[in-house]
Amino acid sequence: MSRYILRRLIQAVPLLIGILIINFVLIHVAPGDPIYLLAGDAGDEKYYAAMRARFGLDQPLAMQLYLYLVNAAQGQFGYSYAYDRPVFEIIFARLPATLLLTGSALVLSTLVAVWLGVVAARRAHSAADHTIAVVTLLFYGMPAFWLGQLLVIVFAIWLDWFPVQGMTDVRHSYQGLEYASDVLRHLALPMTTLGLLHLALVTRLTRMGMREQLDEDYVRTAHAKGLPVARVVNYHALRNALLPVVTTVGTQIGTLFTGAVLTEIIFAWPGIGRLLYDATLARDYPLLMAIFLFVAVSVVVVNLVTDLTYAFLDPRVRFA
Amino acid sequence: MKRVFLLFSLLLLSLMLIACSPATPAAPTSAPVNNTPFATAAGAVVPSSTSAPTPTAAATAKRGGTVVVGVTSDPGQLNPGLTTAGGTHAVADNMFNGLLQFNDKLEPQPSLAETWTVSTDGKTYTFNLAKGVTWHDGKPFTSADVKFTFEQILLQFHSRTKAGLENVLDGIDTPNENTVVFRFKQPYAPLLRRLDVVEAAILPKHLYDGTDIQKNAANTAPIGTGPYKFKEYIKGDHITLVRNENYFKKGLPLLDTVIFKIIPNSTAAAQALEKGEVDYITGVNGPDIARLQANKDVVLVKAPAGPGGSFCIDTLIFNMRKPPFDKLEARQAFAYGINRQQILEQVQFNQGRIATGPIASTMSWAYNPNVMKYAFDQVKAAELLDKAGLAKGADGKRLKVVFVHATGFAKTAEVVRDNMAQLGVEVELATLEVNAANERMFTKNDFDIGIGSYCNGPDPEIGVTRAYVSSNIKVGVPFSNGAAYSNKQVDDLFIQAASTIDTAQRAKLYAQIQEILVKDVPYWWTIETELFRAQRKEVHDLRIWAGDLLERAWTERT
Repeated sequence: MSRYILRRLIQAVPLLIGILIINFVLIHVAPGDPIYLLAGDAGDEKYYAAMRARFGLDQPLAMQLYLYLVNAAQGQFGYSYAYDRPVFEIIFARLPATLLLTGSALVLSTLVAVWLGVVAARRAHSAADHTIAVVTLLFYGMPAFWLGQLLVIVFAIWLDWFPVQGMTDVRHSYQGLEYASDVLRHLALPMTTLGLLHLALVTRLTRMGMREQLDEDYVRTAHAKGLPVARVVNYHALRNALLPVVTTVGTQIGTLFTGAVLTEIIFAWPGIGRLLYDATLARDYPLLMAIFLFVAVSVVVVNLVTDLTYAFLDPRVRFA
Repeated sequence: MKRVFLLFSLLLLSLMLIACSPATPAAPTSAPVNNTPFATAAGAVVPSSTSAPTPTAAATAKRGGTVVVGVTSDPGQLNPGLTTAGGTHAVADNMFNGLLQFNDKLEPQPSLAETWTVSTDGKTYTFNLAKGVTWHDGKPFTSADVKFTFEQILLQFHSRTKAGLENVLDGIDTPNENTVVFRFKQPYAPLLRRLDVVEAAILPKHLYDGTDIQKNAANTAPIGTGPYKFKEYIKGDHITLVRNENYFKKGLPLLDTVIFKIIPNSTAAAQALEKGEVDYITGVNGPDIARLQANKDVVLVKAPAGPGGSFCIDTLIFNMRKPPFDKLEARQAFAYGINRQQILEQVQFNQGRIATGPIASTMSWAYNPNVMKYAFDQVKAAELLDKAGLAKGADGKRLKVVFVHATGFAKTAEVVRDNMAQLGVEVELATLEVNAANERMFTKNDFDIGIGSYCNGPDPEIGVTRAYVSSNIKVGVPFSNGAAYSNKQVDDLFIQAASTIDTAQRAKLYAQIQEILVKDVPYWWTIETELFRAQRKEVHDLRIWAGDLLERAWTERT
């Protein structure tokens, strides 16, 4: 098992180097120039040239790439232009906010989606089944900024249950439990936005898996030997139906991150998604590179974890 | 089952209507934008306290309390001497002072400098500094700080101050601790208008001397002389400042705490204001205006100046390097052919005014209304196009031009395209993100028409000159002379105006410049933009036209 993990991690290294190179080229080929943000809008050529030299932007692209890779190999990923701090220091400072948002959205939406999927499968072709299908697909089709605004207007402005933006109430500095409940109040709407967007896929997969499993002989046997229906469905059938769901949830991490960018902007949530947005606008190359690398590594790791979860769920799968 | 589905569809439909409602500012109870209880007369800036018709506006200022300001971008660093970026200045300017500050008519007033004299030849400015001023860390402020700040920071890194002063400044002397003397090579008129905290914040020599200034730790935890002291900066979320108990202006500041909350989405910022999560926001968008006006707890205010740019005009740039805009008739044809009233109404929601030339009408001392007028007239435009040799072809088309613009100008660009299409001119829109658009206009010069928000700044020499003098036709410099306009007479007049001390004389020179430029139309000035800002009504005395927004601010909610 540990040899398997090691092999997978070693395999990931060339992949990540490839990602770094492709990202580097893409970012630099895209139009735009970081110098305007760095130097202001009324400088002269000499000043801009000096600023370019200071940040190494006067070097040929191939040289910049070479230097970047050499430094990266030594664990040096550079300083952000805008923040003038090491890039990973900035990313890690923002990580908890994004983990909280995407993590809670993922857990919540998966739980709800599995439940909806089971309901839909057990009452296939009923009104409930159709309603679930339509609702989840509709959320799936909504743009995050639109859905987010809708939730804000209803639940923050009209009903006044939740705040409009932010992660904490800046007017107060809460501690302990009060702090936690403050964050939860702020989390509710962005989490719901992100979660609703991701309901559809898992719901459909669960429904499909359950439909298959419920027709299997072992389910009929379980019913025949008099097990309660709930136990048959929730324990026997669901466990098998969840296999494709686990794969999907794993691969959705990347998609979820994309959704987090928009959600974090709408709700002024201080996470990595907004950092990515700011860095793109400012052409903060080192920070952009580091964020992409960070996301790439996360996806690699999550895929590995997903594969390992398989073994836990399906004893027939063995790693060697 | 069908009934359930129908019900459900209805529910969804109603939800969609809810979500759409903020985009339609048609609330029947709200007054149209023009009839708001505050009007900005040309030239006068209405301070928030007088524009807010609240019964308590005249009440005595209260001490204490917290004000939360919504800002759109994360400043990154907080040294106002290193950058002209609005994001940094909106926050940092409240921790520092300039030698001078602006009153609500944008006239220079004492700040770190108590008094000053100008020599009769206009070459020497002497400033007497306020006594007993200390930095937030307790060290005394002296003339050495001023000299160091200009020489080592502003003239190295602050692009506007650097561009304005480096060629004309001869030297800075400090005869004693409380006196600073600026010596110029030639008479230099605009100095007093470029010494406020936005253009020239004074920084502590004892923390920056001998260090790598751009990497100094004080850039993210500043020590200033200003009304508020730095407390914390949670990147991407908020910045907290607290009252400077030893502020050198007696009795100020009044607030205990000031928090800058970063809210990138302007609709979210407006909603946060409505709910009282923030007390003041800059830049209210058209669709949000009517809703905020209907809110009794909120007051809309506006000023033509501020740390993000002063006296700004949305300006088309004609690329005069190549046909068709190397011809005067072609440029004038576009000036007549574009319906600016339509832009004002449909794009700007009637915020601002139709421009008449390169200097905004609100900068009243320098503004010249007696220039050639280009009323919307498509017949005349067609005649001029014919005259320029751009007659209609067999297919009814005259020519095709490429209009490069940032996404923020997309709606303006669409109006221009539609207007010109009626004349047989095909305007191809190249909509780019702002940074990419700047590169294409100012570095690659790959455009026929460009557009930008050109800001006059506190003095024409600061923000106007750069776009029109031939010495500023530069590659890779945003907001330089992008049209590549070159006119010896205009060049000379700008030089003369900068070195004329007498304001009336200067105004005459600028009046002449405006006449020539408007006749030549190297650029086309569309709208003098004037963004709404909005505040909670319990907040008073915000200096919305200046960098030091909160120096005198107070709140009823303590």
